Amino acid sequence: MELSRRRFAHFAGAAALAGRQLRGQQAPITAQQVIDRIQMGGGPSPGDIKAGDPATQVNGIATTAMATMDVLSRASKEKTNLVITLEPAFFGRLDAAISDDPVYAAKQEFIQTNGLVVWRFNDSWRARKPDPLAAGLAQTLAWTKYQVADDPTRYDLPAMPLAALAADLAKRLNARAGIRVVGDPQTSVRRVALLPGSSPLAATMKILPECDVVIAGETREWESVEYAQDTVVSGRKKGFIMLGHVLSEEPGMKVCADWLKSLVPEVPVRWLPSGDPYWRPA
Amino acid sequence: MTANEVVERIKKNLGLPWNEKTYRDTFKVGDPNTEVKGIATTFMATLDLIQRAHAAGMNFVITHEPTFWSDRDTVSDVADDPIYKFKVDFCARNNMVVWRFHDHIHARQPDLIWVGLARALGWQQTAGSRNRFTFPPTTLAALATDVQRRMNIRALRVVGDPRVKVSSAAVGMGYSIPRVAPDVDVVIGGENPEAGGQFDDTEYVLDAAFFGRTKGEIILGHAISEEPGMEDCANWLRTFVSEVPIQFIRAGEPFWSPKA
Repeated sequence: MELSRRRFAHFAGAAALAGRQLRGQQAPITAQQVIDRIQMGGGPSPGDIKAGDPATQVNGIATTAMATMDVLSRASKEKTNLVITLEPAFFGRLDAAISDDPVYAAKQEFIQTNGLVVWRFNDSWRARKPDPLAAGLAQTLAWTKYQVADDPTRYDLPAMPLAALAADLAKRLNARAGIRVVGDPQTSVRRVALLPGSSPLAATMKILPECDVVIAGETREWESVEYAQDTVVSGRKKGFIMLGHVLSEEPGMKVCADWLKSLVPEVPVRWLPSGDPYWRPA
Repeated sequence: MTANEVVERIKKNLGLPWNEKTYRDTFKVGDPNTEVKGIATTFMATLDLIQRAHAAGMNFVITHEPTFWSDRDTVSDVADDPIYKFKVDFCARNNMVVWRFHDHIHARQPDLIWVGLARALGWQQTAGSRNRFTFPPTTLAALATDVQRRMNIRALRVVGDPRVKVSSAAVGMGYSIPRVAPDVDVVIGGENPEAGGQFDDTEYVLDAAFFGRTKGEIILGHAISEEPGMEDCANWLRTFVSEVPIQFIRAGEPFWSPKA
């Protein structure tokens, strides 16, 4: 009985394995085919292959907010050769137009040598409804049940001091030193608005009056930060939190990985977060 | 002495021609013909700073950075905002005047904002260099601790391996961090974008460190990097404005950070 059950399990496993291999042999999928499928499912806006050969046969897909060298080398070690990144792979330098830069050249060489393909998925992922970056951040924070109406950028939480909220964010997002806060740590906050990524002054000015605390990714010190300081000093009980650009966007790329799992069942899909880039001395 | 007379005297003592096209170094709040009771120099004319300057008897604020939350102090974009109205009302009721001193304080020789930052860091500058420092080999963690202590920073951020040995740094001010270079271990500056930046953004530094082309980056904060120079500005003003009291008032670091 036990033997037969074990044998059955063995055969079942072998059959599943054979099926996967067969599927792999019959229908290899290239990077370009994955991208075409994403564009059909996610909207017409084209993304760009930032590096690598679009005809490369994909053995695994990694999603990340920022395809740093650390992320690329982890992907390569895990036999995951298609890396889908929200932020530019080659810094702010118009990507391919910086071939004389040594860091650019070394990164390109690593990608070529290891047969990786790097594709940027930004505009159409951001444009998707409901906003996957805000919804993803809320999921990671376990706030989905507190969402206000059908707006994934707004949450109504149990009231807590700003300091407790900031500490909870740090814990749930595995932050090191990236989180920075404006406002009295003791201020009680309840109504939260999310602004993942980089946001202009106008976004903060629109939303801070309507909530107790804005949780942004990255803003400038002479823009939203000063506005938040002035808001607090004018007597309003508010807070303003910057998570860091990438830390605020990574949960949205976890959502992207989950979405791709059903869209591209042929290959494993994983989320490779780049992590909080910052630390500070104890 | 009026605020405008103070500004005219600054122009005379700068040692370089005034750029009449500057949109930064202009009056932002109040009547330039207001009689000055006292001058407060600061990094940024936040509402808090303006209130404290008023409480200290100063009605003329000389600020390095904007008053109304954008580089051009574009008031038309914010005119209906209640915080804008609150700030403007406070200034009007209390006869406050704000003037920005940015481009020309950086352009004069020496740049007083740089003088202040170098003084606050207290390191020995590499002879003949514009912004380089060398020191006995230490770890990036120890260097960051030294910077944190010397400049009293709550929300310091560091990129790179804490254990790596470093002995040289290039330092920048404000919204610029020096480019990564083969003969510099650590780049230090005020504020920079994390990704997609015009300069070497955080992603570039992470990748440069991966390839051994830099050891790391220390991000001080914009205010932290430029506020000390406004104390030097106050000292400089006293050499040619003796009619009214002049005081450096800290806007202060805007952030705190949760315990990791």
